[in-house]
Amino acid sequence: MLAFLGSFGDILANGPLYQSTFRLAAILVFAAAGEWVAERAGTINISVEAMLLGGHFATAIAYTQTSNFAFSLAVGALAGVFVSSFQAYLSHYLNADQFGIGLTLNILLLGLVAFLEPNFDLSTKLAGEVKVPLLYDIPILGPAMFGQRWPMYLVYAVVPLSWWLLMRTKWGLEVRAVGEDPQAADVTGIHVNARRRHAILYTGFIAGLGGGVYLLGQVGRFESGNIGGKGIIAIAAVIFGGWTLRGAVAGCILFGYVDALRLNLPNIVGHDFNAQLLAALPFLATIVVMLIFAKHTRQPVSLARPFLRGLK
Amino acid sequence: MADPISDHLLENHKGGGTSVPPPAVVVRGIVKRYGALAACDGVDLTMRAGEIHGVLGQNGAGKSTLMKILIGLVMPDEGSIAINGKGARIGSPQIASDLGIGMVHQHFSLVDGLSVWENVVLGEKAHLDRSAARSRVAEIGERYGLDVDPDARVSSLTAGQRQRVEIIKCLRRDPKILIFDEPTSVLTPEESSHLFGVLRNVVKTEGRTVALVSHKLEEVLRATDDITIMRDGKVVAFMRTNETDRHALAEAMVGRTVDLRGGKARHVSDSTVVTSENTEPLPVLEVVNASVQTKAAGVQLANLSLSVMPGEIVGIAGVEGNGQRVLADVLSSLTALNSGSVKVNGSEIATGRPGAMSKSGIGVIPEDRHDSGCVLDMSVAENLVLASQETVAHRGFLDRKKITSQAQDLVQLFGISCSTVDAPMWTLSGGNQQRVVLARELSIGPSVLVAAQPTRGLDVGAIEYMGERLKQAAADGVGVLLISSEIEELIELSDRILVMYRGAIVGEMKAGEIDMHRLGMLMGGAE
Amino acid sequence: MSSTSSVKRDRIELIGLYVVSIVLAFVIAAILVNTSGGSWSKAVEAMMNGAFKNPGRWGETLRRAAPLLIVAAGSAVAAKAGIINIGQEGQVLVGATGAAFIMTKIQPGSPLMLILGIILGMLAGAAWAGIAALLYYWRRVPVVLSTLLLVYLSSQMTGYTMTRKSLLLEIVKGSPNRIQNSAKTAVNSRLGIMHIFGNNVPLTVPVAIIVAVGVAYMLAHSVWGFRLKMLGLNPRTAQRAGVSHVRFGTMALLTSGAAAGLAGSLMLATGESNYRVSSGFSASVGWDGLLVALVARNNPYASIPVALAFASLHTGSNFLAAAGVESVLVDVIRGLLVLALFIPPAVSELRKKRRVLDLMTERA
Repeated sequence: MLAFLGSFGDILANGPLYQSTFRLAAILVFAAAGEWVAERAGTINISVEAMLLGGHFATAIAYTQTSNFAFSLAVGALAGVFVSSFQAYLSHYLNADQFGIGLTLNILLLGLVAFLEPNFDLSTKLAGEVKVPLLYDIPILGPAMFGQRWPMYLVYAVVPLSWWLLMRTKWGLEVRAVGEDPQAADVTGIHVNARRRHAILYTGFIAGLGGGVYLLGQVGRFESGNIGGKGIIAIAAVIFGGWTLRGAVAGCILFGYVDALRLNLPNIVGHDFNAQLLAALPFLATIVVMLIFAKHTRQPVSLARPFLRGLK
Repeated sequence: MADPISDHLLENHKGGGTSVPPPAVVVRGIVKRYGALAACDGVDLTMRAGEIHGVLGQNGAGKSTLMKILIGLVMPDEGSIAINGKGARIGSPQIASDLGIGMVHQHFSLVDGLSVWENVVLGEKAHLDRSAARSRVAEIGERYGLDVDPDARVSSLTAGQRQRVEIIKCLRRDPKILIFDEPTSVLTPEESSHLFGVLRNVVKTEGRTVALVSHKLEEVLRATDDITIMRDGKVVAFMRTNETDRHALAEAMVGRTVDLRGGKARHVSDSTVVTSENTEPLPVLEVVNASVQTKAAGVQLANLSLSVMPGEIVGIAGVEGNGQRVLADVLSSLTALNSGSVKVNGSEIATGRPGAMSKSGIGVIPEDRHDSGCVLDMSVAENLVLASQETVAHRGFLDRKKITSQAQDLVQLFGISCSTVDAPMWTLSGGNQQRVVLARELSIGPSVLVAAQPTRGLDVGAIEYMGERLKQAAADGVGVLLISSEIEELIELSDRILVMYRGAIVGEMKAGEIDMHRLGMLMGGAE
Repeated sequence: MSSTSSVKRDRIELIGLYVVSIVLAFVIAAILVNTSGGSWSKAVEAMMNGAFKNPGRWGETLRRAAPLLIVAAGSAVAAKAGIINIGQEGQVLVGATGAAFIMTKIQPGSPLMLILGIILGMLAGAAWAGIAALLYYWRRVPVVLSTLLLVYLSSQMTGYTMTRKSLLLEIVKGSPNRIQNSAKTAVNSRLGIMHIFGNNVPLTVPVAIIVAVGVAYMLAHSVWGFRLKMLGLNPRTAQRAGVSHVRFGTMALLTSGAAAGLAGSLMLATGESNYRVSSGFSASVGWDGLLVALVARNNPYASIPVALAFASLHTGSNFLAAAGVESVLVDVIRGLLVLALFIPPAVSELRKKRRVLDLMTERA
């Protein structure tokens, strides 16, 4: 029992654990900060997974060709927009089923990346580490939050950006209205499906950027399995957070922590766990957390309901 | 079709030089068909600038369709529109807004999850300026006497307050032409007269043009300058308000001479009266201390009690949004009570359990038939057996022949017009859909029939038919609970009227003793 | 414009759109092949050989099509009730794993063990889907999300059972286990295979057809199907008429999971991956089956040809390597094809709307 408590203490005071929590949460935050906007507009984008992967892959190609970090990240973001444009236009212009499209995009992109990858001799490396003065010296959290490779710091821009866009701009007000009550928004003169498309394109931009940041700020080497399910967990975080950005970020940190635990537990506790069970941990934890903590929060009223102005 | 009055107006404009402004709205030959039914059938309308123009007609006369065309929500099949003397094609609400046309909607135009000021600025082109917007809302509210807290969440407002927000939202865009669609259906009598004061103010001091769409004679007479009367999708008359009276309006609206005060006291059939004297029969429906409360919507039913005797029609009067919908939902198994009980023929029924109310003998004609009354993508025949599949099934499989023949019988009995009984429900007109719902609910032989706003959106013939059917059901011993915001309808059909206010019954009147003044006071919560 | 002629025109337009978008999908795929150094004509030939022409291949195609059809039929049940189950891939895998507990562990097998194994497989698939039902009806977590999360979880959880000898890991004497998979199923617990013109056609094929036809019939003619449809089309009307959202929704989801579990256990019983389960056992059957249902618009009859088409893409892909093309090309083609098949009905709907609007412009 004492030994157990001791190792519990080790877990709580473990610096590397917080560092990897931050890193693993960061990519979730990118995806969730984008997805949050789209969901508030009324779409559940399961293709956020494909957007992450698209950004991840495109950044790898761009970096291989140019060795320019900033440029490669920009390419990654654009790739995310490209992928999301399919989701946006097929589901909110042609009115095709959003889940069918999202699922197909996820499958299609995995195949496309696997097919194209051998044609590129991908070689990427991590961007430089930047320690933020003063803040870095905060115990435990300092090195985790302010001792990262520089692309990771973009996460500090993305969250306020999403919040400001949605809560403080005219566009954001219209996006929220469209997600709550598209009929009323339409009567008021707002182009409902256009706003929904814009929100999805924004998701693509942020998620694509996140995919790039993950590559150049954390993993360093492209592998198509890198993304595996992170977009889906980000969607879970948005729901966990009750469609508030604060809650979504908290969800990302929680899920990031679990993921970090998976990586660090054997080192901390000094005991090998079953690899399969460890790999299952993030998903298992997500489901358990949703089961226990997902509240009956008020979701955007017309979430996942397509809009078509009646000509009937 | 020639329309001498508006042609005259047009000529007047041409000949009259610069002093007479062009009419604000000229509509010519508008046709809009929904399947076989023409909602608007060659409609002409001329609204003079700077006046209040009443558009009067019964439910289903085509008024709403016409207004939706003006606001760009519905595309006409034929016809032309001119705004301020210029031809216009109003393809979307945005275009209408650019032309200076604004509408205060009856339903569906405020976003519940947003605050008042957010709703007011929603859809504007300017940048979002929170503090300016909030003070502007307060300012407009003050100028027109439309008091409302800019930071309140719309979902927490009463129907009357919501309408104020709608009006503020509309006025903020500075429209030259304002359309009010049945604005008083959600208001108490006091609130209504206040509204008319606001309208007069808007027209007189600011030179705007107002269209007041209504089916209520009194308010059109009181509030307007000109009146266009529609019936069955056509314009049947145009009058100056000060040159007409109730009788002329009523005649034009209904298409025959009507006795305005007549027929209100329906005679309770002798048989039920006799039995009630002898054996004190049990009420078919009893609702005892029913309470419904949710976190999101607050108290919706507050200790509501009522009972309905066999053969009796009990009317529920009240301004919309005082819990009528929730009461109907409870009796449809859609909402569970937090406390209290519902009894049918003396035995208690579990509330909120799927199908329990229907099984125990409560038939319901819901307020919104598309919401819980029918399945639009199923056939007419299927819709006729929704609640009673067991009776047309054999060992768990549907007997299609039986369904079809039963449907054909009901279609004939209730005069439902449809191409075949296998036609999808959505191909039927509103009136026929309503007949399907009625036919189904009566075909299961209910003890109680709940009819919520049963004539809303129907044409005159259908309205009359519905009234006859309800009377017939009562004569057959069914207890009828009629929930309506049409006071005339309640008076005509009910044996007893209960007044509902904030989720409770606040008053009761017998058929012979209705005091309109007191009724109005009760509906406004004054007692 | 009479309504019959416009209906006819719409139909012709729709067919035209299907043709155009399918051709377009293949053109894009061809361009991909050629730009990555392959030859599309060779690729097509290889795929034809792989799917039909070479000896024994059409039997393989049928073998692949059968579970797709079963999964698709199950998906249709959930979809009719208005529930979007997209976790079939996990449900297939969990189903096969469940079946393996009987089929591989109880030696020697017997036809009874075969049946018990299939039943356990169906129960496992249903239970896996049931977690999503629990999350939805208790916590309002969208079924789309939970079923998808469960797919990721399934491969690791079943993988775990393949790492423990006490669970499913094959016990090999003398050498340490390198590959993590189960033992072979007991010979007597296997399902028969028909030999037709040199092709091995597993009994799954007739089973799949029976399942698809049965589901189609139940949906169209039973009270159960009627209620499911009512729930899917208008849940409030359904509740008023006595259809409980929780009960029927859960049941639809369980049925859909059970169908996926059935597909998984039948695959195991008819020799998929040499009668062994591993964490990669489901081999996209769940995804494919779901896409079949989506493309066939949840019509089990229409799912039959679509399942055949998807299966031949899969079996054809096995021969692509010989033509110097990566076999994952097929994943791309399939994705493009599905997107392409989504577009025509959507466009034709939109066109109808546009035409009405245009007519009004002319008049104004």
